[in-house]
Amino acid sequence: MRRLLRLAVLVALTVWAWRYFVARRETHERAGVSYADGSSLVFEPGSPAFERLAGIARTALRP
Amino acid sequence: MDVAQALQELTELSAQVERAVVLDAGGSLLGSTHVGEGAAERLADAARELTDAAAELHASEGVIRVEVELADGALFVLREGGLTIAAVTGPSPTAGLVAYDLRTCLHAIDEKPKRSRRRPSSKPKEEASE
Repeated sequence: MRRLLRLAVLVALTVWAWRYFVARRETHERAGVSYADGSSLVFEPGSPAFERLAGIARTALRP
Repeated sequence: MDVAQALQELTELSAQVERAVVLDAGGSLLGSTHVGEGAAERLADAARELTDAAAELHASEGVIRVEVELADGALFVLREGGLTIAAVTGPSPTAGLVAYDLRTCLHAIDEKPKRSRRRPSSKPKEEASE
């Protein structure tokens, strides 16, 4: 029983450490467009449309 | 509520919005939060360019919302009722909440651009050719 408890604590600590130190640093970049007809598009980094929209947005994000 | 009041209320209510501008249907700057003139114009230019670029990406012409989330921050553009609002937030914003705040700001603005009304002329039109 004690071994099981230790294992559970170890797993929980590992998950927490991974989420805190690794996953938090991952930047989630995306671009989304919604249209009046109800349709919407989502672009991920690497696509030409995302790079175009991101390039425009970066000019506005400059302080 | 005029544009300046609506934008002031937006910055008070939303902790995520750092700066914002409102444009009319023609793309002219109607108002901005307390930022420098250069930053406001830059944000307005980006909003115009973003909606133009987004319109080219799809057969449907009516772009109502564009959001670009980057590592440095995010840019939101919403169009409704002939007005456009663009706002900059910090990284990883709560997109739905920001969009709700921006929409609320647009709804609060009642001084929308007046549509030109054609008054019926009392005089009959004169023929150009004589």
